[in-house]
Amino acid sequence: MNGIDTPIVFYPLCALTILFAVAAISFRNIFHSLLSAIMVFFLVGVLFYVLGSEYNAVIQIAVYGLAVPVILGLAIMFTNLKKDENKASSKLTFATLFTGGLFAIAVLSIIRFALGEVDFYGVNPISAMSAFGSGIFIKYVWAFELMSLILTIIVVGLSLFKKEGRCRK
Amino acid sequence: MQEITIYNYLFLGLLLFVIGIVGSILSKHVIKVLISIEFILTGVNINFITFATFCDSVSFDGYLFTLFYVGIGAVELAVALYIFYLMYNKKQSENIENYGDL
Amino acid sequence: MADMILDNMYLILLIPFWIFLIIMLGRFFSVYVNKIVIYTLTLFASLSGALLSGLALFYNNNLILETQMPFIKINDFIISAGLHVDKTSLVFAFVLFVISFLIQIFSISYMKNEKKTYRFYALLNLFNFAMCGLFFSPNLFEAYVFWEIVGVVSYLLIGFEYFKKEKSIAAKKVFIINRIGDTALIGAIILCSYLMYSNSDNWGLTTLSFVDMNIISTLINAYASTPLFWGICLLFIAAAAVKSAQFPFYTWLQDAMEAKLPVSALLHSATMVVSGVFLIIRLYPMFSLDNGLLQLIAVLGLLTAFVCSVSACAQNHPKKVLAYSTSAQIGLMFFALGMGNIKAAIIFFIAHALIKSMLFLTLPKEGEKFDLVNFVLFLIGGLSLSGIIFSGMVAKEFMYLDLSLTLKVLFCLISFMTAFYIIRIALLLGVNKDKKIPFVPVILTVLNIVFYFIVRKLVKYEVSEPFWAALTAWICVYVLYIKDAFWKVPVLYPLAYNGFYLDKFYTQTMSTIYAKIADFSNLIDTKFFGNYNLLINSAKCGVKVSDWVENNVMNGAVRLTTGIAKMFSKLYLVAQNGNIQRYNAYAFIIITVIISCLIIGYVWLYLRYIGG
Repeated sequence: MNGIDTPIVFYPLCALTILFAVAAISFRNIFHSLLSAIMVFFLVGVLFYVLGSEYNAVIQIAVYGLAVPVILGLAIMFTNLKKDENKASSKLTFATLFTGGLFAIAVLSIIRFALGEVDFYGVNPISAMSAFGSGIFIKYVWAFELMSLILTIIVVGLSLFKKEGRCRK
Repeated sequence: MQEITIYNYLFLGLLLFVIGIVGSILSKHVIKVLISIEFILTGVNINFITFATFCDSVSFDGYLFTLFYVGIGAVELAVALYIFYLMYNKKQSENIENYGDL
Repeated sequence: MADMILDNMYLILLIPFWIFLIIMLGRFFSVYVNKIVIYTLTLFASLSGALLSGLALFYNNNLILETQMPFIKINDFIISAGLHVDKTSLVFAFVLFVISFLIQIFSISYMKNEKKTYRFYALLNLFNFAMCGLFFSPNLFEAYVFWEIVGVVSYLLIGFEYFKKEKSIAAKKVFIINRIGDTALIGAIILCSYLMYSNSDNWGLTTLSFVDMNIISTLINAYASTPLFWGICLLFIAAAAVKSAQFPFYTWLQDAMEAKLPVSALLHSATMVVSGVFLIIRLYPMFSLDNGLLQLIAVLGLLTAFVCSVSACAQNHPKKVLAYSTSAQIGLMFFALGMGNIKAAIIFFIAHALIKSMLFLTLPKEGEKFDLVNFVLFLIGGLSLSGIIFSGMVAKEFMYLDLSLTLKVLFCLISFMTAFYIIRIALLLGVNKDKKIPFVPVILTVLNIVFYFIVRKLVKYEVSEPFWAALTAWICVYVLYIKDAFWKVPVLYPLAYNGFYLDKFYTQTMSTIYAKIADFSNLIDTKFFGNYNLLINSAKCGVKVSDWVENNVMNGAVRLTTGIAKMFSKLYLVAQNGNIQRYNAYAFIIITVIISCLIIGYVWLYLRYIGG
């Protein structure tokens, strides 16, 4: 909480996020839904900033707001754009939407019930930053290294796969 | 207007999560499904950060886990897109219903 | 200077390992192809090791240096890895590196025409690393790790020409026999550690570090019952005996002679086989608690020395003679250890290492005769080994002191036979007039003489019976060789030629035991589990009954069942259409239903029992 999480900032942000998220999954054109997804990711990044985690906000915007959409856009570009997608069956649509609503209500009630008596703290940004550093480099250093290793493996593996695919052709 | 509490953030995360799930079930385009999955991850991330901000003023583990989630999400996306690339070369279709045979 | 060397002792362990990695990986990834780079690296590694250990030996006065870092950590229980540098380990390491250095120089010319020599040098460096780790390991756990690595390197070096079938078979056999010793060692370590763990409050002692060996062995003796203590010690002795090719296990050393000549000279005569001796020296506090154990070691050593000497007398292949001789000489070291004469054992180890590697390096190639200089050096080595001149004499005389009369006679006999088989094989191979001067054997002989002059001042000795016995042998052998007398001894010769049939005994008994087990299990299989007669008879009656039942009752039931199954399968087919999103939706719906049910149930309970 940076002190800027006032209702005037939060509610529009929230509304826009939900709106764009719904738009992203309901647009027919895949490019349009990608654009709204970018908006959602950006808005969530802003939300992280509002929540007081600047570092996460930067990462969210850099990775999800910029890098991921570029890759997705590239993937979209080599597919056939003109073909119209056929819709899901109305029974399934109805069932899923209904269940989604039910799920939301159920989880919300759990949250309400579980968090009824918890005391909340504020955030001191400086301590948050130092905790972040110590967390990455001391507490979760193996997890961090493992993640970087996985990323490396993925990069190497994909390039190898690609080579193999070429050979097969 | 009432003050913004932890519930508002959690509700936002929950909504994004549900939207992601519904989208991943209902949409027929593979890329759209992937976007929906990213929504799910984002919803979870919001939960993490919210809890770290409101309930944990010492170690902020939630921030770190968000970081890991972003990394894992990127990896997952890369793998999924490569699978999509292979399947598209094979089937010449991006409709997920055509990917049914295992 | 002294501090600098002692502070950097870990380099002695790490340099060989680094060089191993550099040679192996660098060659693997084709970073370099030039052989000279490999030669430089490997020579640098062993030379630096020799310098380090030599200087440390020079500066270190009875100092025990311990550097440790935690390796396995379970709460307070810490097994540390590190260095335990004391005089014994420094002496062993120094000899290892000096001989390794000289043998690497030798193998540069010897292995010139081989392929993939980089693997050979890399493995030699790995061997140096493993042996060094064994010598410097601070506790038994780390010692066990390096013990295993030594075994593996031995396997790899014997199987260097793995494409030749007999060599790979020999490597396998050596490895398998060595496994017996490894298993014994780990069993003993586990027993010791468990005893300490369950009885002692001091966690530091549970790690079985060599510094506290005195306390540990006393405690183990106190905690364990006598048979258990004996069992532990016997396991340790078995481990040492296997690695050092002692009496019941010495057969592997003959197979190890399939390896290349430098490998035989380094591993299977000079350094690797004495790791058993080293283990016994390290565990000496434990054995010295019970006099019977020491006597056992002495008897084992003497028996090996005797049996192997007799066997060596009858062999025609020079490498096999030297292999049996190695077993015999290490048996003498065991004997000295058993008599409580550690100093003599170490001195004899050094002398033996210098002499035996020299003997190996002077051997001519298969089916050829000795060169002249080689022949002379071989004879000098033989004289030294049998205890007539130079360091061998001092060591043997030193061992010979303070023995009882029976032992003296046996010792003289072994000395006699040593001289006998060495000169016999020298005469058997013969000489040609080639006067090429071999560099490395000359150096080793010089070292032998130098060592003689060093030791002569340290140790009091007198020229006594073994000397004369060996000298007699040198005279006798002419007679026997010329007259072919030994060939005509009816029982002893075949017995000795086949190494007292121990190898055959192993293969035959093992195979018969296996065959018996197989027969027995086959019997059980056919007579009990495979006996279907009863079953068939009873089944015949049953068939008639079941036939009737099937026609009248079952068929109707089957039709009903299939009908129901078909109905279900139609339903099932709708659900299982292979669409991942469908499955996702099902999962989501089911999870939601479960959560909702839980909440409803919880609220109901809450209202009923608390709220209402």
